[in-house]
Amino acid sequence: MKILVCVKQVMEGESPVRVHDSGKWINPCASARFEMNPFDTYAVEEALQIRENVPGTLVHAVTVGPESSRDTLRRALGMGADEAVHILDTGTGYRPPFLTASWIAAYAGGKGYDLILTGIMSADEMNGQTGPMIAQSLSIPCASAVLYEKPGPDRTHISIEREIEGGARDMFEVKLPCVLTLQTGINAPRYPSLSMVLRARKKEITVIPAGVFVDQEPGLRLHSLYSPQKQRKGILLKGTMEEKAKQLMDILAQKALLT
Amino acid sequence: MGKKTAIIAEHHNGEISTVTYELLALAKGIQESEAGDICFFILGADTEKPAQTLSTRTGEPVHAVCIPGLAQYNGALYKKALSALFSRTPFDYILAPHSSSGMDYAPALSMALGGSCITGVKDVVRTDGALCFVRSLFGGKLSAKLTTDTGPLVLTLQPGALKAFSPEGKSQGPNQVSNQGTIERSVLDITDDNMVYAGTKASPSEGSDLARADVIVSGGRGIRDAQNYNHIEMLARLFPRSATGGSRPICDYKWIPYSKQVGITGTTVSPKLYIACGISGAPQHVEGMKNAGFIVAVNTDPDAPVFQIADVCIVEDLMEFIPFFIETFKQKRRKKDERNDLGESFLA
Ligand SMILES: Cc1cc2nc3c(=O)[nH]c(=O)nc-3n(C[C@H](O)[C@H](O)[C@H](O)COP(=O)(O)OP(=O)(O)OC[C@H]3O[C@@H](n4cnc5c(N)ncnc54)[C@H](O)[C@@H]3O)c2cc1C
Ligand SMILES: Nc1ncnc2c1ncn2[C@@H]1O[C@H](COP(=O)(O)O)[C@@H](O)[C@H]1O
Repeated sequence: MKILVCVKQVMEGESPVRVHDSGKWINPCASARFEMNPFDTYAVEEALQIRENVPGTLVHAVTVGPESSRDTLRRALGMGADEAVHILDTGTGYRPPFLTASWIAAYAGGKGYDLILTGIMSADEMNGQTGPMIAQSLSIPCASAVLYEKPGPDRTHISIEREIEGGARDMFEVKLPCVLTLQTGINAPRYPSLSMVLRARKKEITVIPAGVFVDQEPGLRLHSLYSPQKQRKGILLKGTMEEKAKQLMDILAQKALLT
Repeated sequence: MGKKTAIIAEHHNGEISTVTYELLALAKGIQESEAGDICFFILGADTEKPAQTLSTRTGEPVHAVCIPGLAQYNGALYKKALSALFSRTPFDYILAPHSSSGMDYAPALSMALGGSCITGVKDVVRTDGALCFVRSLFGGKLSAKLTTDTGPLVLTLQPGALKAFSPEGKSQGPNQVSNQGTIERSVLDITDDNMVYAGTKASPSEGSDLARADVIVSGGRGIRDAQNYNHIEMLARLFPRSATGGSRPICDYKWIPYSKQVGITGTTVSPKLYIACGISGAPQHVEGMKNAGFIVAVNTDPDAPVFQIADVCIVEDLMEFIPFFIETFKQKRRKKDERNDLGESFLA
């Protein structure tokens, strides 16, 4: 099987996010650290597990992003991916998932991938659109929120389970090639070993400037970014830890929640 | 001519899901700025009963599309049916729920129609003359306003973000409008061998006792290690009729079983008190607990989105705060007991 895994670089979850002065995108502060979108580590791991079970499988990783996002491809190679492709986008503003998906589809089309894997969403933008849109561009089926997959013996189909509300799972037989967006918990993503990281450093990464793809209308425009308002009139406890503990106790006692 | 809005109704076992009425609230919000017609579309093997319910409760026109092979949600069939329907009858806005199914078909549908897509919408506002749709980014730390000039626009609405539409015309009882909407019925006999449904498996959280507890103390990734869950357990023990829960990641890490997961893909809870410790407050978690009577959040990050929905916000390290709180509680108990003992000896 030939598998393409889509990986995105995102800011680490606990890095502070600040809106750029233009109000049109974010401004990573100097201390910000970047990582592979945690949701995508499950996609890389799943591809590697398929390779362990299906002899002759090749795992390719692709990312769309600026120069610095190449680190995420190194991470994927360090985990064990065979090859990596960087679709280089030098733009700094908001890029709608439609464009990302169109470029990945334009790259992947005609290359014989049996399976394209993505995370369920990107931790920063939370769109959940890129995978389903890649499938639509390539006119192949897509199943989202997948928690189990097993390619059929003749490699024409893959059996999958997708998660629905409340945690139940719908089972489907999906025709290959297809796109799957993977839900967290499907596996336990591995950490790259030192030897793999060293090997990954020497690997050639294919770079494709995004400009080579047909110019497309992005469709969406980001009007502005801002910090959301509180929905409940919550109180922020102030003072030392001792004072906060006492205040909380008083509030809970008052509400007859703890006596 | 006004802008036309289509709503794709979500229904399960013949019942209309609440989010469908929230979608109507969104459609009315759009209508306020850009007057135009609203029409429901309902797809399934058996659409008669939910179509009736929708039209009597909302008074809006309903298009019931019977697809014999669609007893269960099937992404391939949905996409095929919806792109055919909306290519024939164009709409400017197509609204779907941000549910496991809406998320699955909406992005592809927008592309098939040559339009744009915004997922996880929380609200609609008019800013600088443009109709903007509000959605969360960065786990809820930021909000964005998005707009488009190329239609149609396919949107998915975050469940629980808007108050569900309810009819004002009280004349026919609380759940009815005075004029029932028209129902147009059609049969679409399509199949698709790209995706074949093969059954449904029950959720691992089924039968969880979380839903019955008065007080739930939950831990998130902020506990940092499986053994630190004992802080959560010790805090819960202070409260009668309490239970412990957690966010999805700590279930994924196998620190706690999935039966304890709170959220849209776990258990939805509404206890009297919910204490969220080391939980950031992602929409999928919040949707499962925001109806708690009282919410306390403990988080080291003052910007954590969970503070947007908490009644009491405590910016502290849970690993220090919880033991401290338990100790404070025990001291208070001891004092109270001493007073009681004193009282009794006085009486004697
Ligand atoms: C389709 C779908 C369904 C989902 N369903 C669910 C669901 O049902 N339930 C669910 O929970 N999630 C669900 N998720 C995942 C959800 O999007 C979030 O990823 C998840 O809720 C985050 O969990 P968390 O808050 O524990 O972790 P994080 O977001 O990593 O937050 C950890 C928090 O702990 C704080 N912290 C760190 N250290 C400390 C400390 N020492 N003391 C105090 N605070 C500390 C940090 O500041 C941070 O705010 C779903 C996602 C998708 C895409
Ligand atoms: N810039 C990108 N490069 C590669 N893959 C991406 C990119 N953005 C999104 N993806 C993939 O699409 C998934 C969903 O992202 P999103 O649609 O942004 O929520 C992610 O988990 C990735 O697998």
